[in-house]
Formats: sequence, C-alpha cells, structure tokens
Amino acid sequence: MLQGALSGLAAGGVYAIIAVCLTLMSRLVRVVNFAQAATGMFGSYVAVWMVSKAGIPIGLATVVGILIGGLLSGLIGWIIATWLSEADTSTRSAVTVGPLLLLISLSFILFGNKPQPFQPLLAGPAFTVSGVVISQVTVVIVVLAIVVAAASKLVLSRTSVGTKLRALSERPTTAELIGIPAKPLGVAVWAITGIISTIVIVIVAPSQSNDAIALSMLIVPGAAAALLGAFRRLDLAVLGGLVLGVIQGTVAQIDQVSFVRYFLPFLFIVGLLLWNQRKAVWDAAR
Amino acid sequence: MSVLSLDGVTVSRGAGPVIRDVSLEVVSGTITALVGPNGAGKTSLLEAISGVIDASSGTISLDGEPLGKLSRVRRAHRGIVHIEQGRAVFPSLTVVENVRLASGNAARANEAIDMFPELEKRRDSPTGLLSGGEQQMVVLARAFAAQPTFLLIDEMSLGLAPVVFTRLLPMVQRFAEDGVGVLLVEQFTNLALSVARQALVFSNGRVTFQGEASVLQQSPEVLHTAYLGGSPAH
Ligand SMILES: Nc1ncnc2c1ncn2[C@@H]1O[C@H](COP(=O)(O)OP(=O)(O)OP(=O)(O)O)[C@@H](O)[C@H]1O
Ligand SMILES: [Mg+2]
Repeated sequence: MLQGALSGLAAGGVYAIIAVCLTLMSRLVRVVNFAQAATGMFGSYVAVWMVSKAGIPIGLATVVGILIGGLLSGLIGWIIATWLSEADTSTRSAVTVGPLLLLISLSFILFGNKPQPFQPLLAGPAFTVSGVVISQVTVVIVVLAIVVAAASKLVLSRTSVGTKLRALSERPTTAELIGIPAKPLGVAVWAITGIISTIVIVIVAPSQSNDAIALSMLIVPGAAAALLGAFRRLDLAVLGGLVLGVIQGTVAQIDQVSFVRYFLPFLFIVGLLLWNQRKAVWDAAR
Repeated sequence: MSVLSLDGVTVSRGAGPVIRDVSLEVVSGTITALVGPNGAGKTSLLEAISGVIDASSGTISLDGEPLGKLSRVRRAHRGIVHIEQGRAVFPSLTVVENVRLASGNAARANEAIDMFPELEKRRDSPTGLLSGGEQQMVVLARAFAAQPTFLLIDEMSLGLAPVVFTRLLPMVQRFAEDGVGVLLVEQFTNLALSVARQALVFSNGRVTFQGEASVLQQSPEVLHTAYLGGSPAH
C-alpha cells in the first residue's frame, strides 16, 4: 500500500508542475493551454534526437531541448496575443488544441511513432522509507513542484513584474493604457511555463511510457489537479497533483481495480465538477 | 507647448460611424470640457485618441506628428493617459501598487498618494475595498505618477455624489497648472465648464458647439441647442 502510494508521488509531482503552469497561464494570459505538455514533449524529443542521432552530449542537448520547448510555447503565445488578444478565454483555449495536434503529428513525422530512446538524467534511489525506495526522480520532481509554485507566488506578489502581470490579468485594457506592455509580458509567461513543463517532461520521460501521445496527454491529469485550485490557486494545484498521483499509485497496486488508474484523472475532474455544482446548488438553496 | 489635434476623424463601430468628421485641438496647460448626451460618442472619441479603437479615417496627431497605428502602450509612453469610464482601478492590488504601476519613480508615486489624505491612510489596502470616490482618487494619483502630457478623463463623476466630485476637480486643475492638456468628458456640465477654458458639445457623433467654456455657461440656450444636435457654432 505505502509502496504504491509513494511510487505514485513522482507522477503526482509531474501533474502538480503541469497544474501550476496551467494555473499561471489561466490567471495571467486567460488561456487553458491544451498544448502545455505537448510543447514539453516536443522539446524533449528534440533533445533525445540530438543525443541519439547527432551525437551531441546529453547535457547540451537537454538544455537546447528545454529552450526549444520554451520557444514553441512562446510562439503559440505570440500568435494568440497577436490575433486573439481580445477574444474570450474559451476561444483562446480552443485554439491551443491546434498546436497540440500539430506537435503530435509533427513528432510522428520527424521522430517516428515508437517510444524514444531516452537516457535517464537522474537514476537510482535517493533514500528508503520503511523499506520503500524513493527514487531521485521522485525527490527532484516533488521538490521542483513546490519550488515552482512558491517562486511563482513570490514573483507575483513581491516584484514589480509580478504586479504588472496581476494588473494585466485583472484589467488588460487599463493596464495597457498606463503603458504596461501586454504582449511581451504575455509571451514571456508562455515561454517560461513552456520551459518549466519541458524540464519536468525531460526528467520523467525516461521512467514512464514516453510515446508522443502519452506525454502530451499529461495535460489531462495536470488539468484535473489545476481544477482543485479552480485554475487560480497554486497551492491547491500542487496538492491536487500530488494527491492524484498517490491515489493512482495506490490503485495500481490493487490487482482487481488497477485498471481504474487510467480513468482516475477523469473521475477526479467529474468529481470536482459535481462537488462545485453541489456547492452552487447548496448556496442557491440558502 | 504641446498640441493634441484631431483632423477629420471618423470612427466606426458595429453598425456604422459613431464619430463623424471631428476636428479639434487640445493645448497643453488647459482644460477642454467635452459634454453631450448619452451615446453621443464621447467615450469612443477618447478611445480613438488613446488607441483602444482605430479611427477609420482622419488623423490624430501629437505636436504635428500623426499617431497613425501606434499601439495603446506606445501612446501611453508618449504621454497620452486615458482614464476610462467607471472605476479604472485594479481591485486586488493595493493603493500603492496601483499608483506605482504608472511610474518607476517611487518618490513620484508617493507624492501622488500624499496629495490625498484619504489614500495615505489606506496605502496597503486592496483598492477594491475603497469607496467609489477613493477609487477615483487612486486613478487620479496613478495618472499623476505617470506624468502625462495629455490626460483624457471619461466621466470621472459617474456614480459619485456632486460633493465628492467637487473634491476631485481641484486635482484636475492641478494637472492643467502643471502644464498637462486635459480633455474632460463630464456629465456634470456646469462643474466641468467652471474649470474649463475651451468647451465642445458632442451630439450624435458630431461637434455641435466649439468655443469658450464661459459662453456655454452663460447661455444655457446655446448648450441646449447644441445638445439637441443644433447647428455647429464655428
Ligand atoms: N463596443 C461597442 N460596440 C459597438 N458599438 C458601440 C460600442 N460602444 C459604444 N458603441 C456605440 O457607439 C455610440 C457612441 O457610444 P459612446 O459610448 O462613445 O457614447 P458616450 O457619449 O460616451 O455615451 P455615455 O454618455 O453614455 O457614456 C453609441 O451609439 C453606442 O451604442
Ligand atoms: Mg461614455
């Protein structure tokens, strides 16, 4: 049981980081970015290709791959900021399905549809808890999730760039009218969340099923986790990711119900939506 | 001295033109009052100047240089500050944060806040918790921190009691004294005319009166005719 729960922590950390990225994107640039994990997948595929086909050292290839993930995300952001700056959130979000599908197809064309020969960046155990081995990947991912959420919160509340971003998210037109450059700041948010999601995918891809679709679809559990914080709260997004991962790990250990783990993100989403609904009905009844 | 000028400006939105062939000038250091009935196109005019919407024809220029397709952000950096209709504050940001947004200069931002004793006490409160009048003070303080060359003010009095608005007017005069050209859109016509040098009446997208503010103040029948879209008194 404990073993299962702890083995789900790494996946939970990945969901948490993607959830933090999705929350930042939703708050700051009014978009649910369906391509959030796909840009990370593509960046990490480029890194693998550079190592296995071009013989570039893994460290350099990883950095380039991460930058490409950020660049791709920034490019999508630039397109949306240029042509859909006044569009509503649903339209802007729907548009990101385009790059999601495009990046999956492109990766099939360029890299084939087999899982990629990822070399682990981190390997081996970090420590043992009552007989259960915790891997280095787990430790790094969970710490990264917490650090990314805390750092984002700090930047938003304590720095002048953070104040500008909050102003833009509250009243974009007013912010522009006092000279805050909406487009460069928005594109920067896209690029930075793109870099963060590529980093996490590069780290976990070697130790999980890493075909293009599996990696791109990390968006689903990520979105489920972000939903716990209503796409607004970073702390709840992290918690949601970790809890989802732990439940998934636990369920996978129980033979009779282990298949349920594939549906867990969806159950999580449906459950949260029903819960919110119930609250709304309850509030209305009062 | 700076001049903001509009020459034959037409603005269309949705159904058709809401501003037709408008020409006017705002000179630095003076207040120009812009009044007119609801739906006359006053807000649309300010939005065209600040770049929120595009003019479909005509030129808007700053010191003789057409602004053309310059973005809102660039126009703001050129010194055109637009205070929008309603309460243009960022509600979750504190008073200080709101004002500092407009200026990298902390001293200037503090000076702006200090002009309103009400705000000094609530520097660190979220602006959304302030009263309507206090929120407009935040907006004015933010505009002051921005050090504009031209200030476009859209119905600052909306939803405020006349006494509260009377508290804000001296601040508008202060801008003019400091050399800012102010274009003041107002529904409290008499109060606006009392501080303005020049006045414009807008009706149905056209200028129906343009002249000394004192003329309108002294002859309500001229104002009345202009409101109803009477002949332009050029
Ligand atoms: N976003 C918009 N889309 C389409 N038409 C608009 C829009 N905003 C305003 N209009 C139309 O433009 C015309 C001028 O409106 P505008 O808001 O500029 O007038 P106003 O003089 O500021 O009125 P008020 O005194 O009520 O603020 C009106 O006929 C209005 O219906
Ligand atoms: Mg208006």
